[in-house]
Parts: sequence; C-alpha cells; structure tokens
Amino acid sequence: MKISLNWLRDYIDLRDGLGVDDLVAGLVQLGHEVDAVEDAGAALANIVVGKVLERVQHPNADKLGVCQVDVGADHGGVRQIVCGAPNARAGLTVAVALPGAVVHGGKTTIGESEIRGQVSKGMIAGRDELGLESDDPDRHIWEMDTEAAVGTPLAEVLGRNDTVLDVAVTPNRGDCLSHYGLARDMAALGLGTLKPWQAPEIVAKGAVDVEVTVATAACPQFNLMRVRGVANKASPSWVQARLEACGMRPKNILVDVTNYVMLAVGQPLHAYDVRGLDGVFKVRGAKAGEGFESLLGDKLTLRDGDIVIEDGAGKIIDLCGISGGAGSAVQDDTAEVVLEAAVFDRAQIARTGQAHIMTTDARYRFERGIDPASTQEALRLCAALVQAWGGGEVSAMVTAGAGVAAPQAIAYDPALCGAFGGLAVEETRQREILTALGFGVKADTVPWQVVPPAFRTYMANPEDLVEEVLRVVGYEEVPATLPRLMPAQLEIDGRPVELDRVARKALAANGFVEAMTYSFIGHADAVLAVDDAGALLELDNPLAQDSMTTMRPSLLPGLLRAAAGNAAHKDVVAKLGEAGKVFDAKGERLAAAGLLLADGARLWRGTAVKPDVFTAKAAALALLETLGAPVESLVVEAGAGAMYHPGKSGTLRVGPMVLARFGELHPKVLKHFGIKQACAAVEIELQPLLKVQAKARGWQPEAFPAVKRDVALVLPKEVKAADVQATLKGADRTLVRAVDVFDLYEGEHVGVGKKSLALGLTLRADDRTLTEAEINGVVDKALALAKDAYGAELRG
Amino acid sequence: MDMQDLQGQALSQIAAAADLAALDAVRVQYLGGKGQITGMLKELGGLDPEARKVRGAEVNAVRAAVQEAFNAKKDMLETAEMDAQLAAEAVDVTLPADFAGFAALGAGQGVGRIHPLTAAMEDIARVMKSMGFVHGVGPELETDDYNFTKLNLPPEHPARQDQDTFYLKPDADGVRKVLRTQTSNVQIHTLEKHNPPLRVMGIGRVYRRDYDLTHTPQFHQVEGLLVDKGVTMGDMRGVLAEFYRSFFGKDVKTRMRPHYFPFTEPSAELDMECIFCKGSGCRVCKQSGWLEILGCGMVHRNVLAVGGLDIGDYQGFAFGAGVERLAMLKYGIGDLRLFYESHASFLRNFGKMAVAAA
Repeated sequence: MKISLNWLRDYIDLRDGLGVDDLVAGLVQLGHEVDAVEDAGAALANIVVGKVLERVQHPNADKLGVCQVDVGADHGGVRQIVCGAPNARAGLTVAVALPGAVVHGGKTTIGESEIRGQVSKGMIAGRDELGLESDDPDRHIWEMDTEAAVGTPLAEVLGRNDTVLDVAVTPNRGDCLSHYGLARDMAALGLGTLKPWQAPEIVAKGAVDVEVTVATAACPQFNLMRVRGVANKASPSWVQARLEACGMRPKNILVDVTNYVMLAVGQPLHAYDVRGLDGVFKVRGAKAGEGFESLLGDKLTLRDGDIVIEDGAGKIIDLCGISGGAGSAVQDDTAEVVLEAAVFDRAQIARTGQAHIMTTDARYRFERGIDPASTQEALRLCAALVQAWGGGEVSAMVTAGAGVAAPQAIAYDPALCGAFGGLAVEETRQREILTALGFGVKADTVPWQVVPPAFRTYMANPEDLVEEVLRVVGYEEVPATLPRLMPAQLEIDGRPVELDRVARKALAANGFVEAMTYSFIGHADAVLAVDDAGALLELDNPLAQDSMTTMRPSLLPGLLRAAAGNAAHKDVVAKLGEAGKVFDAKGERLAAAGLLLADGARLWRGTAVKPDVFTAKAAALALLETLGAPVESLVVEAGAGAMYHPGKSGTLRVGPMVLARFGELHPKVLKHFGIKQACAAVEIELQPLLKVQAKARGWQPEAFPAVKRDVALVLPKEVKAADVQATLKGADRTLVRAVDVFDLYEGEHVGVGKKSLALGLTLRADDRTLTEAEINGVVDKALALAKDAYGAELRG
Repeated sequence: MDMQDLQGQALSQIAAAADLAALDAVRVQYLGGKGQITGMLKELGGLDPEARKVRGAEVNAVRAAVQEAFNAKKDMLETAEMDAQLAAEAVDVTLPADFAGFAALGAGQGVGRIHPLTAAMEDIARVMKSMGFVHGVGPELETDDYNFTKLNLPPEHPARQDQDTFYLKPDADGVRKVLRTQTSNVQIHTLEKHNPPLRVMGIGRVYRRDYDLTHTPQFHQVEGLLVDKGVTMGDMRGVLAEFYRSFFGKDVKTRMRPHYFPFTEPSAELDMECIFCKGSGCRVCKQSGWLEILGCGMVHRNVLAVGGLDIGDYQGFAFGAGVERLAMLKYGIGDLRLFYESHASFLRNFGKMAVAAA
C-alpha cells in the first residue's frame, strides 16, 4: 500500500529529527516491510511556473512563436523559448520545462537548443506532456490558474512535494491499510504522537429516507447517510494529489471521497446515486442462482451466502463489501447520493470474492478486517467531506444490524515472553506496549486479562501477544541461543529423498550432465510417452494452453526438448540426465533418466560412438549397479513402451518390478522433438530400488583358481543370447560361475537363418581345484543341453 | 458415371490398395492433375451459374470424401510400413551391453555434473544434518487439506491469495489436488506420524502460478521443523544463524524482523547481512545491506494440534527458504530462469565435484 508522508502527518506528530530512513527502519521493526521510497514530485523535477511576457512570430517558421518567459530569478529570469502552441500568448501563466526536465512520459529530456535559427532555453508544456489529466486540445499549452509565483516548482503547486512509501502490509494487519492505521502503529513504537481523528460537526438536515433492514448475521452493522444537492465536480487539487500519490486516479468528488476516507482511516464506503434507488435497502444473504450486474458491468450468478442488498422491487443493487451495482453507480452529474459504511463478516467476503474472482479495494480490507468501532465516524467524515468539497445538505444517519461482538479477553502470562519468545521483558514495559497498541490490560493477577482492540483481527492466543510485545521492543533484541542436543532420530520417511539425491550423483558418476526441466510439459509431448492418454494428469489452470499443461509422465520429453535446444546451439551434451518426480493417474513416483546423443566428436584415435540399444543397455546397467540394484539377477525383455523403437529396446525387471527401460527411440518421437543425431535413452524406476537394493554380506576369499573354456555355437538366428547363457549355466549351477558372450557372427560361413555365438564359460569349485575330466564333463553336458534345446552345433 | 458410383469405386480401390505405390496410383487416377474427379471440376466452368453451384457442391463432396479416405489409408500404410521396417531392424536385446561404447560416448566432454540446484540442496542437507535434522517427506501433488487447511490456512484466509496455486483437473472422485505451494506440507505429514522431540527438514520442489523475471512456476524450498520442550525464538535465531554460517562458510550478521505466516506465531523473517557488500549496500541487496532469505516462526498452536500436541507441553519453530535464492547467492547466478533452461554450457559450468561432494 502506498503511504503519503504529507497525509500521514495529519495523524501523527513525528518526533523531531526523524528522517525518512528512520521511518522506514521503524516500519520494518514493526513488521511493515517498505518495498520502495518514492519522491512523488520526481517526475516533475525542473518544471516551474512561468509567465509569458511577450510572443512574436518566429521569423523563419509560420507555425512557431518566439516567447519571452519569466521563470524567476533562481532559474535565470527571463528566457527565450520557441513555442508552437496556437494558444501561446503574452500574459499566460504556464508550466515551463527547464533544461534537464523529463517530459512525454520519460521519452524526452529538455535541453537548450536552436530552432530554425532562434535560441530556445526550455519548453512551455501542455498538461498531457507532463503526464497530467488533460482536456486541452492537442498541441495546446496549459493555461495555469494559480497564484503561485514564477519560479515555484510545479510539484509544489500540485501538492506533489511529497514522499511516498510503498508499504507491504501483511494479511493479518487489516488495521494498517490506511494512513491513520499505520500512524497508530508507528506512534506505539514511539515515532511520534498519535493525533486521533474525528469527523467535523455537521448540522444534519432531513432523514436518509431509506427503509433499511438487515436479515443476515454476516452484516452486524449497516449505516447510511444521504447528501442532497452536491455539485459533483473535480475534487480539490490537494485531494487529487494525495490520491494520485497513493496510486489512485481522481475522478470526481463523489468517487474520490470514498477512496479518500478509505485510505485515510481504513473504512471502505460506497456511494449510491439515488436515481438508481427506490428507497428500500434489504441486506440479506443471497440465494444460489440470483443474478447481479456489477458497477463494471460484470454479470454474476450469486452463490448462497453472498451478502447483497435488495431494493423494494426485488432487484439486487449491491454485492456487499465487494462491488456496487450497475444501476446506482455514481455519475459525473450525480447530485444526490446515499453513502454506506458497514461491517461485514470477513470469511464471507473472502468466500464471495474468491468465488466470483473479484479483487477490489473494499474486499481487500473487509476480508482482512476493519475497525468496527470507527465505521459510523468514518461515514460522518465522508459526508462532511462531500459537503466541504461539493456543498449540499447532509442527512441524519440510519443504522441497522445486530451489532459487533466485543473482542474476547486473552489470558496472558507475561513470563511467556521469555519462555516462548526468548526475551524476558519487564512486566511494566509489556503493559506499556500493549496499552499503547490499544489493548486493554488487566494485570492485577497472573494470568493477565488482555482485551484486543476491535481493529485487531487474528488476536486469539497468548503467543499473539508475545509477538506484539517483541515487535515493539524489537525482534533484534532476541538473543541467539541454541536448543539442547536431542536423541538421534532414525531416518524413516526420508529414504526416498536420499534415493533421489543418490540417483543424481549416480547419473553424474556415470558421465551424465544433470538438467532440471519442468514438471509440467505440453500435452502433445506427454501423449507420446504413454500408451493411454487417459493416464495423464492435466492441470486445471495451466499458465498457457499449449505448454506446461500436463504433469510429465516421463522425464524423457523434457530432456528431448533440452537436447533439441542444445543441438540448435551446436552444443550437444552426449549424456544428459535428470532425476525427479514423474506423474500419472496412480500418482507421483521417483525416476531418473538419461539421453545418449551422438555429439559429433572427431577423434584422432578410434572412432566416435553412435549410441544404440546396447550402449543404452550399458547405461541402464551401470546406473542400476551404482544405485545398488542386484544386476546379476535382472531379466531382460524386448520392448520398452511407447517412446522406444519396438525392436531395439528392452525392459529390465526383478520379478514383477520394472527397474529400467532402455533403447533407441521411436522415429516418430525423434521427429516430434526434432532430434536429428543418433539417440538412445534410459529410464530408471527409483522407488522399487528401496526394496531390492543389495545388502553387503560377509565375503570369503576364493581359495581355488577358476578355469575358462570357450565354445562357439551355431544356432538358429532367433535364439536369444540370454537363453543360451542360461542353458549352458544349467550344466552345473554350482561350478559354472559365469557364461559370457564375446562374439556374434552372422553370414555365409554359418548359413542362412543361422548365427554363431562365441561364449566363454568360467568354472570354479570352492573346495578343490577342478580336474580336466570334471571340466570336460561339465562342458560336454552344457553342449548337450544346447543341442537339445536349440539344435546348437559346435562351430568347426 | 453417377457420382455416388464414382465415389464408391474410388473408395473400394483405396481400401484394396496393398501398398503405398498402389495407393498413389489410385490417387493419380481420381485426384491427379488428369484424374477423373479433377476433370469434373474443370468441366464446371462450362456450366451456367445455377447448375455450376449444384454440380460443384456434388463434385467437391466426393473429392473431399475420396481425399479423406486416401489420407487415412496413407497414414495406415505408412505406419504399417514403419512397423514392418522397425520389426525387420529388431535385434536380440539380451546380447551383452556395450559398456565400452557407453564409456567412450562423450568422453571428450569430461566428467558428469550435478545441477547447481542439486548441489545447493545437497549442501543445505549437509548443514541441516550437522545440526541433527533428518529428511522428512511430503508429496508434490497434495490435498488442499495438507497444503493449506491443516497449516492454519482455512479456505477463506486472505493469505491464500499470496500463493497463486496450480490445481489438477478433478480426479474420478471429484478431488481437485493442488501442486504444493510450499514444503510446509512436510511439517504436517511429520507431525501426524512422529512424536517429538523432532528435527526434520523437507527439501523439494514446489509450484506457484507465476512466471516473470524473478519467478518461475516451479522452484525449490527447504523447510525445517524443530519441536521439543522449552524451545524459544532465541533458539530459532541461533539455529538459523548457524545455518547461514555453515552454508556460506563464513560468519554472517542476521536481522530478525516481524512478518506474518498463518502457520507460525510469532512469525519472522531472518535477513542476513549482504555477503557481497558487507551491509554497505550494493546491487545484489538493492542497496538495503540485507538479503531476504527465509521466513520462520514459532509453530502455531493449531499446527501442533494437528499432531496431537499441546502448546503447553511442546513448542518449536519452523522455517522455509528458497533454494534458488541460496544457490544464486552462493554460485553467483544472476537469472533465476537459467536453472530450468538446460543450456549445455550452463549445466557444464557447475557441479563438477558431484561425486566428491556426496
């Protein structure tokens, strides 16, 4: 919220010698962060009042005049200024932009120049050129109506010699959403003396002439006054200056006055043009389905409980606390108004505002809480100001509603300040502070009975009072201490987090560069990764309709987008990885993934690798081994799902649990993402690892040597290598320790439909050195098994 | 020939085409430059306007139907052709993995890297672990209850608007899950499951509906929760000062000032003196001399109550900080969005000590 220092001084006599920095520091100590300090007149620097003494025709230009303008002795006395405005003439009081002034919304900086041979030392400005509201015809200069002497800064004339603080008021401090409210908090800190406000005396004439009933508990207090015969012109310039300093656009007295009172003392008000009223105000809860057209023309369908005002004809004329209705909005020619100031239930206003997605200054304050004790006084102030600025007669006030409940006392033990807040504060000091903040303190027994002021919401517990005391003493006074050492805690919940972190390190340990992409991706990217688009989780309110719409079902789409981007920059990361959550209809789970990309490296030795299904398989196994999976007992199956090449991909399982998918990507996927180089991928499921991670057990040294035997088998082409390995191992599950494939040959030497597979057998016994006869026996049996199973022949 | 017969004939020929070459021959016959349907379109010019309108509509309808059938069949044949080609390329995936090739791929690009945010999160965890905190968990797809209500943020609370929230489309049961807006849901899950004394951290990804120079719709937070007997705000300040000191590797001055969070009372922000200018004011701290790093406070009694705890028996503090901000300060990264843009050179520039930092 923007706070004008000039305005603030209406409500607080600041202590002598306080600078803006001290005020900012004080506000920060109180919990009101100051986001910015602005000089309200900064935009008008080097612009002063001048008087045109003479205008003569420019000798070299038909449409230009040469003026002699007095801008005061401080600014060089009489200056020659070339001016093209048709209304420029001797005797005018004008705004002169001196060299250094910035006009045209920051686009032009004025300097001294020569225009068609005539010196021009500044510019005579139009209102539009200065960024002011303007009714002047185009290219006309502003004919000022001011008593100010020549040379007076324009900022001063317009009441803009002001400092504006942009204060971030937290949601619990609705009481500080006004100049008076902040002044009250500042005074409690001792920055000055509060000047309590009161509406000026008004002589009431006539009645409101409105029949008011309140039929909902959500409106405990409802007040109206009528003002007749208002001349609804522009507000006084000092009022406009204050509103503009606070970021509001002045319109006319009846619009401005409600904003002014709200910013001054915090009470939102509404003004109704009586031409839209029929004399009946029934405040009630809305019924679902009722219609309402707001002041801005939005047509709403109301919900149960919204607080509304119904007129005598059954029409809803106001959505209370949020927006007035279209039919009774104040116009430029409004001369008679009914002014409303009321108290509404915070929670109900919040619900209504959320449901209809309406953000207004009134809602903002009502849902944070206003001061019900000053609502009627604020209405009187509003009526008095209308009369002061625009004349007219003010009626008496009419009031309805069941009344606002008095705040409940909080039982407070002042020792809590030390025991909870960490800073023991003397009891007398605590009492002083709470009293200065408006709390009623009964301190004759402990616990004290502390009654919060009506304007403070969110005050219910003793801890709230600790905060009040400490923020005035200063949080800075709380000394840093350390808690006691605690018993060790066993990691129970945290293993998935650790696993996620280990996965990132496993990727890096295997050469991957870790990327972090968005958890939501475009729908078109996501559907490629699943067999059933119905399993995708879609955002209800994405930022854009064509991207970031769908929770990623796989890490690969994000990585492929990243890879395509880097390829376009001719900077391919050969191994790009990511770990994180993936999402589908079953929920979220942890995954890791890597892309393998040909990086086009040119090597003076050896040849560059093109990633394929077998490099991807190596990546899968390397990552799984790093992560502690039992890689010896994994089962490989062909195929890895929608994103992969069906014939060049595989899935690694332990029992029914999928641990990894790997392979080359489907051509349609590569085409979709614009990947042109050779590419393969691996995806790891992390969560199953928690169940299957191999635990280290005892280890015995091998006492006897192993022996190796190689065989080359001619087999039908379709026989799987893994099956042959398993078959050979079956010859003796104790002695055959490993069967490795070390060569594959297909071609003329083995015949059509055949292949030759070269395998190495490792045999070892724990308790003896194997004899030649034993070894041959096992190998022969292995060959026999292979022959039985596949018709395998030893290759000659 | 009658238009309907022509259409029927074309469609059956399309259906009968066994391969792309055959299909294309059908296309040429009907839709090619000299095709039958194209010819009929050319003849329209010779008709009077009224007849042209009627006949034109007829011919065009047939042409559209044939074209549509052609496109569908072409897609089908292309897919079948690709499937056949992919099937022909199939290899025995049970053959051994190519570890040598895997190791050699990109070997010239150097070793692997962890992402700077991962590095920062690891470092944060190191600091927190050194003070006895262990990892807690909370899902990223959360219920409204755990993201807001149990954190003392009922639906009508104005502070909810500060966290512009992403929602998922309602599931089969009509539940509209939220993408968690804060790691504070870890507090609730922990308090419901475990008894004090507790020291738990939650480090992870959160989401808010905001995207500009200084906001990305996803970011990371670290959450801390300590609950025991007799814990004070002074303890909170002490632990958090140690957090800064250990994370940045030097003594830092702190400034504690009041703030508001619904789930803590009293609430505070603990700023640290700008590590670049030592408090004299610079571009990074926007001339204030202070860096806003984290929000904190004493756990609200309503939050403790979720865990069945009474504020008279137990009390504690909680805090939350943005990981991106900490990483930007520690590693000198100027633009938040870089973290998620995956530029090769950016990713390679950080996290070289990946494995050593474990």
